[in-house]
This record gives sequence, structure tokens and C-alpha cells, in this order.
Amino acid sequence: MNALDRALLVAARELAAERRRPDGFVAALTFTALLVLMESLAFGPGQARQPGVASALYWIAILFAATLVATRSFDRELEDDAIDAVLVLDGGREALYAGKVIAIAIVLAIVALAAAVLSFVLLDLGVALAGHLVLVGVLGILALPPVIVLVTLLALRVRARVALVPILSFPILMPQLVACTQGAAAALTGDASAALGWAGILAAFALVYGVLGLTIVPAAIE
Amino acid sequence: MRRVPENASLNDVTVVLDDRAILRGISLGLGPGLTLLRGPNGAGKTTLLRALAGLAPLARGRRSVSGGPPLYIGHRPMLLSGLTARENLAFLAAFRGLGAGDVAGALRAWGLAAEMDRPIERLSAGQRRRASLARIETERMPLVLLDEPFADLDSDALVRLRAAINTALVRGQAVLMATHMHHELDQDATHRYVLDDGALREV
Repeated sequence: MNALDRALLVAARELAAERRRPDGFVAALTFTALLVLMESLAFGPGQARQPGVASALYWIAILFAATLVATRSFDRELEDDAIDAVLVLDGGREALYAGKVIAIAIVLAIVALAAAVLSFVLLDLGVALAGHLVLVGVLGILALPPVIVLVTLLALRVRARVALVPILSFPILMPQLVACTQGAAAALTGDASAALGWAGILAAFALVYGVLGLTIVPAAIE
Repeated sequence: MRRVPENASLNDVTVVLDDRAILRGISLGLGPGLTLLRGPNGAGKTTLLRALAGLAPLARGRRSVSGGPPLYIGHRPMLLSGLTARENLAFLAAFRGLGAGDVAGALRAWGLAAEMDRPIERLSAGQRRRASLARIETERMPLVLLDEPFADLDSDALVRLRAAINTALVRGQAVLMATHMHHELDQDATHRYVLDDGALREV
């Protein structure tokens, strides 16, 4: 069994557990939907429909959703020390990291899709470049989990983990958040080159932090 | 320390946790057979097992395990909630490249025929413990580390555990068990150690 097979095995395990006990998914979906709803009410239809504002609030909601899904996922691992059964195995640490990133990205994609539909319905947003918007969305969803899972693993045995993960990961994720927001706004307004530029930045961040995580995690987890 | 063909060893190992030396210069070789480890609460038994499993960072010394990562079953069942007992065991066996094998048969042997497809969090503490111990049969690794395996077990399960350990010994596996109930398996043990205040001695 190679490293990719092991990562996919962990991802399948994670998705099976999330399907049966969708605590993280439900919390993330509820939180994201409420935030989009409150945004449309608080800003009023005129302001909330501005591409920059709508994109920023959408991606802030997705960022918190990613943290919720990751936190719940590792809470489940720590119940009954399930994580130790994986850490003891050859390649277990790398597989745990990569598998979690894959699984959380998949859960986040579903949450992001639901939140996008809600945003379009509530705010009546117009999309100039749908394909570019999807590209930015997909790459944004791939760029967030590598950092959040890495920080969650590093803070695994810390008692204040729930508070610490956003405090540590959000500053690191600021460039990704800016790229997601600007890229989505550019796609909404029809600026193809800007949307592609921001998408490229997101792809680079996803790759860099993915590799960094795989390098750091084996030595860093206790 | 004895010199026999070793499935695993610790050589002059020190483990420091929270600025306190839990293990101090421990050397231990484990060949095929049952080794019992006892000692008072807080003596470092769990830390020694975790050091052998590669889960405790070594401040000094060396750990060596042959034939693949050990099977370590700790105080708690180490099974993921949300998955069934069968799914948990199949995942762990598959990760080792062993295939699902006869996971269902092993769980049935441990009296979990009716429970193996229920989410693990819906099982009782004793049933979860049985499910975790069924891994002795689904992951036949050269080194088996058991931390207080008798906890939560009823008399039927105790019989089953003894049978599983005896089968492992016949297969040539090394079994290291930390337990306060050493009398349960004392006659089967090849070596007995006492760990006290981070130091190990054979008795």
C-alpha cells in the first residue's frame, strides 16, 4: 500500500464517520447559512450585493466552517484515543494529515456549495464568469484545509485547542482569504485575468502548505 | 538484560514528560513469549508501552521494533466513533496491508456477532474493549503491547483473552502486558518485570 492509498483510506474512514455522525458538517452548514442570512439582513440588499462585500463575508463564513469541521473531526479522533491506533502505524502520521485534508475539503465543498446557492438566492447576485467563479471556489476550498489541519494537529494535545486553532491559523490564512475574496469578486464582475491570477495564487498556497504539512507533521505530532 | 532473538527492544531509554523523567535509562529486550509488566500506579507502565509503540518521544536511548509497527492496545479502545466495530478493525487491518481478512469471524469469536455493525459509541465499555482486543486476531504483528487489557472484561471475555494470548504465543509473537492482574496469566509468562519510579527490574 503506497502513501496515496493510505491517505485515501484515512479520508474514506473520515467521511464514513462524518456520514454516520455528521456533527461537524451540520454545525458548519448551520453556521454558514446563518451568517449568509444575517449578512443579507444586516447590510441590506443594496450593500450586501456588492461583489467585494458578498465575497468577503462568504469566504469568512467558509473559513470558520472549515475550522468547525476540522475541530469536530479531531475531537472524534481524541475520543477513546482512536488517533493513537493510526499514529502507531508506518506512514500513519502523513496519512492522517493528507486523509484529513482530503476529507475536510470534500465536506467543505458541500458546505460551500450550499452557502453559495443560499447567497445567490438571498442576495440575487449576478455572475459574469461562472467558470472562473467555480475555479476560484474549488481552489479556495483546497487552500484552506492544509493549514487548518496542520495547526490542529500541532495543537492536538493543548487544552485550549478550540480557541488556539483559529488564533494561530487565521493569520497564516490571510493571504488565502484575500485571494479567495478578490478572485470571487473578480469572477462576479467579469475580470477574467484578475480571477485567474488569484486562482493561481490559491493553487500555489494549496501546494506549498500541503507539502509543508506532509514534511512537518511526522516529526511534530506527539 | 537477556539476549534472545528480539522482536523489539529499548536501549537505555529515558522519557521525560512535563519536565519529569517517567522512564530512566530503561533497557528491555522482547523475544517471542509473554512478558508481564507490573508496578504501582504512576510508575510509568503506560509510558513504557507507548515508548515501544513509538508514541512517546525518547529524550535519550534507542527503540527498535522488527517486523512492522507493533499492535498497541491502550487503556482506551482506540476505535473511532461513528464507525462500527467491523469498519474500525477492517480499516486498521487494511492500513497494515493485511486486507480485511476475517474481521467478522474475529468479532464473532469475541461475542460481538450482533454488535459488530453498530456504531462503536453505542456499545458498552466492555463490548468496546472486546472489539479492540479482537485486533489481536486481525492484526497478527510480531509485537503485541497490551495496557491493562483485563479492564471492563467479564469472565467470558477473560477466557477469550487468555485464549487469544495463548494463540499469539504459539504463533511466536512477543506479547508485553502491563497489568495489575498478573496472577491471571502468571503461569504463562516467560518474563516478569516490575517498573517502579521509572526504573525496571526483572523478578
